[in-house]
Amino acid sequence: MLKLHDVTKTYAGKSEVNALAGINISIGAGEMVAVMGPSGSGKSTLLNLLGGLDVPTSGQVVVAGTDLAGENEKERSLFRRSKISYIFQAYHLMPTLKVSQNVALPLHLAGMATGEIDRKVARALKDVGLEARGNHLPDELSGGERQRVAIARALVTDAPLLLADEPTGNLDSARGAEILELLTAINRERGTTIVIVTHDHNAASACARLIKLRDGRVEGDSGVAGGGA
Amino acid sequence: MRFLLRTLSLSYVRRHLAKTILTLLGVVVGVATFSSIESAKETLVKGIRSTVDRVAGKAQLQITMEGGVPEGVQEQIRALPGIRATSPVIEQIVTPEKGELGSLMVIGIDLLGDREMRDYGFEGDDADLDDPLLFLAQPDSAIFTRQFSEKAGLKSGGSIALKVPKGVKKVTARGVLTPKGFAEAFGGNLMVVDVYAAQDLFGRGRRFDRIDVRLDEGTSIAQGTSVLEKALGPAYRVETPGKRGEQIEKIVANFVAGFNVSSGFALAIGIFLIFNAFNVAVNRRRRDIGTLRALGATPRQVQLLFLAEALVIGLAGGLLGTLAGTTFSQAFLKMMGQTSETLYGVTSSGVVRLPPVVVLQSMLLGIVASLIGAWGPALTASRISPTEAFAKGAFQARPPGNPAMRIIAGVATLGSAVLMAIKPPFGGNPFIFAELLLGGAGIMLLVGPLARLLLICLVPLVTRCAPVAGRLAGDTLLGNARRTSGTIMAMALSLTFVLGLGGYMGSTKKALERWMNDSLTCDLFVRASANFNRPDFLFPGGLRDELLQLPGVKSVESFRATRPLYQGHQIQVTSIEIAPLLERMKYDFTQGSVETMRRGLTMEGKCAVSDNFSRRFKLRVGQSVELATPEGKVSFQIAAVMRDYGSDQGTVLLDRSQFLRYWQDDRVDIYDVSVLPGTPVGQVRDLIRVMLSGRYPALVSTRQEFIAEISKAIDAFYALTRVTLFLALLVAFLGIVTALLISVAERTREIGILKALGALPAQLARGIVQEALLLALVGLVLALPAGNLFASFMEGPLAELFTGWIMPHLYPWDILVQLLVALPLISALAAWIPARQAGRMKIVEAIEYE
Repeated sequence: MLKLHDVTKTYAGKSEVNALAGINISIGAGEMVAVMGPSGSGKSTLLNLLGGLDVPTSGQVVVAGTDLAGENEKERSLFRRSKISYIFQAYHLMPTLKVSQNVALPLHLAGMATGEIDRKVARALKDVGLEARGNHLPDELSGGERQRVAIARALVTDAPLLLADEPTGNLDSARGAEILELLTAINRERGTTIVIVTHDHNAASACARLIKLRDGRVEGDSGVAGGGA
Repeated sequence: MRFLLRTLSLSYVRRHLAKTILTLLGVVVGVATFSSIESAKETLVKGIRSTVDRVAGKAQLQITMEGGVPEGVQEQIRALPGIRATSPVIEQIVTPEKGELGSLMVIGIDLLGDREMRDYGFEGDDADLDDPLLFLAQPDSAIFTRQFSEKAGLKSGGSIALKVPKGVKKVTARGVLTPKGFAEAFGGNLMVVDVYAAQDLFGRGRRFDRIDVRLDEGTSIAQGTSVLEKALGPAYRVETPGKRGEQIEKIVANFVAGFNVSSGFALAIGIFLIFNAFNVAVNRRRRDIGTLRALGATPRQVQLLFLAEALVIGLAGGLLGTLAGTTFSQAFLKMMGQTSETLYGVTSSGVVRLPPVVVLQSMLLGIVASLIGAWGPALTASRISPTEAFAKGAFQARPPGNPAMRIIAGVATLGSAVLMAIKPPFGGNPFIFAELLLGGAGIMLLVGPLARLLLICLVPLVTRCAPVAGRLAGDTLLGNARRTSGTIMAMALSLTFVLGLGGYMGSTKKALERWMNDSLTCDLFVRASANFNRPDFLFPGGLRDELLQLPGVKSVESFRATRPLYQGHQIQVTSIEIAPLLERMKYDFTQGSVETMRRGLTMEGKCAVSDNFSRRFKLRVGQSVELATPEGKVSFQIAAVMRDYGSDQGTVLLDRSQFLRYWQDDRVDIYDVSVLPGTPVGQVRDLIRVMLSGRYPALVSTRQEFIAEISKAIDAFYALTRVTLFLALLVAFLGIVTALLISVAERTREIGILKALGALPAQLARGIVQEALLLALVGLVLALPAGNLFASFMEGPLAELFTGWIMPHLYPWDILVQLLVALPLISALAAWIPARQAGRMKIVEAIEYE
């Protein structure tokens, strides 16, 4: 599903920063992987590259058979639309849109018919247990509920890859556990490949595989022979 | 896209309603200025054309001559082959004593012979004029349209007082016309009188304004024209009514075309307001943009979303601007109508109707202006990567583009504009368009980096005066280069317009005043008509001898001006007794001298021309001007070229003897009277008044009064321009308010932190006022050279293109002083609402804001 080959990412500036320094990772379809590491280890950069939000300085990022490093901005956008979904720590919900409208957003971007959108949105909201909250604004929801809306928005496109950036970072432990349960269920029932970037050990332990990063390099990978978890 | 517009965009508008309304107002003011001027212009020009057509009736040809067609011409042409009927006409616009009834067009016709030419739909008890002879026997007889009669409450036999050259005169209604065809001319404000009564009433002597001609069936227009031209000679114009209407329309359209520059500027300033608003919207919504991009929105979709918003603003602004324009257009029509009547003796009466084409143009203009303004920010939005969007402060911290490159490009572009103005490679509208485009682009490129440099220099000074407020203001302005440069751009553009146009108006006025002081040097001016450009009454030539007989009178010169067409332009041919004139007048010669002029005009039958005539028609001393006279075409060699502001199309000056010889018309517009030294001017004036009383309409003005009256006429001409200057300042004010509101909203978190650290509302308010003052100051400093350049362009190449004049450049110090007083006040006023907003911000909410 995912293959990173000799990937480097350097940020130019007054002093150059090597965020990733020659990373090689392979993640199979249906895996649920946690990426951990201290601040500045390259976790977010890795997630951005996996999602096609950014391009590597060198190396290959192959997602579902497509090398994203070779795609242009528009091609990567269209790829994201159909193959990748996101969950952010800060939810990134549109504050002025109702819950159902937030969930429907990626489908509208794809130009889907309204009837089809309504059907899919209703199903996604039901899957995350928020069918009664469709007409609420994000501000009227709790943190856990907001993250559920973000998950519903990720589910609605049926993308095979779900990338989560600190999905429990803003939640208390009870709400965090609920979200992790939900993600595990999605992985199990739908076969969606999930990559979670996290500081939270609970989140990491919910995943079958753990990749540890430090200073832009893979320090350990529990899914690879010899990798320490 | 509709979903995004309906949800994301609409919610943004709802949350920022005040800023959206201010942005919208920028478009509304620009479009309203355009649509009101354009619809007034259309109504004026179409009204004039329609009046010419309707009054013409069945006439196929019209004979005119500058100064009037002598009575004898009618007899001369009556028997020519192919001529079926001829009818003399006099046209004059008068004002009823009750001014609210509006101007009234008086048509003098020969009631006995005119039925061949026009259909008179008489109605009421007098279904026809039973006895035209009785009508003619009573010199106060007049026929009115039903429309005007009803408006004035006039019944058959009733009378109405009119202001005519000889004073107020009562006329009696002795017939009513059905409002159809001819009677619909001049919006129905029409009065018909006997042509011979009109001759007396309006001082036409034994001349008519024109003779209408109807041809025999089978005689073509070309044949008729050829026969008449052959019989009458080159001094007479033989034209179809349509051609004559076109000519008048062209002259008036040229006059009103200048106002397009004003509406163009108002719109350009509006574009910068939109640019600024969208720039900020992109900044504020960058996280939304990032989310959209992360969810798969393509860069093009993001760009289209912003452009769609601009389209909606453009549509709404266009629609509201067009509607607002209709409310101003009636007032504009009145102002334009008065000026065109004063300048060209033609005007139109009626209500402004918004032509569909103007509605369409206004809407398009609003949309195009809005799309241009939003284009750059929309493009920036489409280029925001999701990673950048989610990084706090990354967008604001992004340094502006390479300033050196922009400055080089700006200097090169502006330099090309200046070089092109000095040596134009082509002329006409393409030249003006290219100049404005290059100049505008140069200023746009330079304003951003120069404003930044200025701010870097000014901030330490301001900080020294007000340590906290100055630092806050400076950091805010320097910290957001894009917003600052957009606001200063709008500000600088408004002030450039104000300084440039105001400077042009000022130097034109000063040049005219200097010329008047040098050329209007006699003690008294005796004239029969209040209208300088189109006298409605002329004195007989013999009056000069009578004036010379009066005690205390030293000399009298007879000034006469006619306005013939020369190579398609309505120039002015003036005549006066040159020898005594040169004794008292100081001409500023550009070619030749007072001696060549004296000798050439008085002894050699030559002429002198104004500098604008020389420039416009590329004629120099030694070359000849061929003028059409009743005696045929006559060539006058040019003896001198002097500065003269008598006509914007050019003046040819002849000695009176030459005019009398070739034009055989001794009537006089103005008698210039000089009094003997030691004789009180007032005493001679009284003597002249007594002498002319009851005989001729007479306005006797002293030199100071005469100059003051002309200055008043110049002020009236620029009245509309002053309105547009005010509009430009209004848009600039809107720009500052918008920018400051945006600035406060953008710095919500920063203001929250400052308040948490102990900043007082008054300190924050002072910072915002300082910010407004800095914006205005930098805008003004940049507008000083730009406005100077714009004024020089208008006084030089542009004035030369339209008038042939090159106005001396004078810096508009008076306007600058006014701006220096007004701008700080306006800026402080603009800062008031944002400052209150900042003061009332709740700390906890503000800190959470992002």
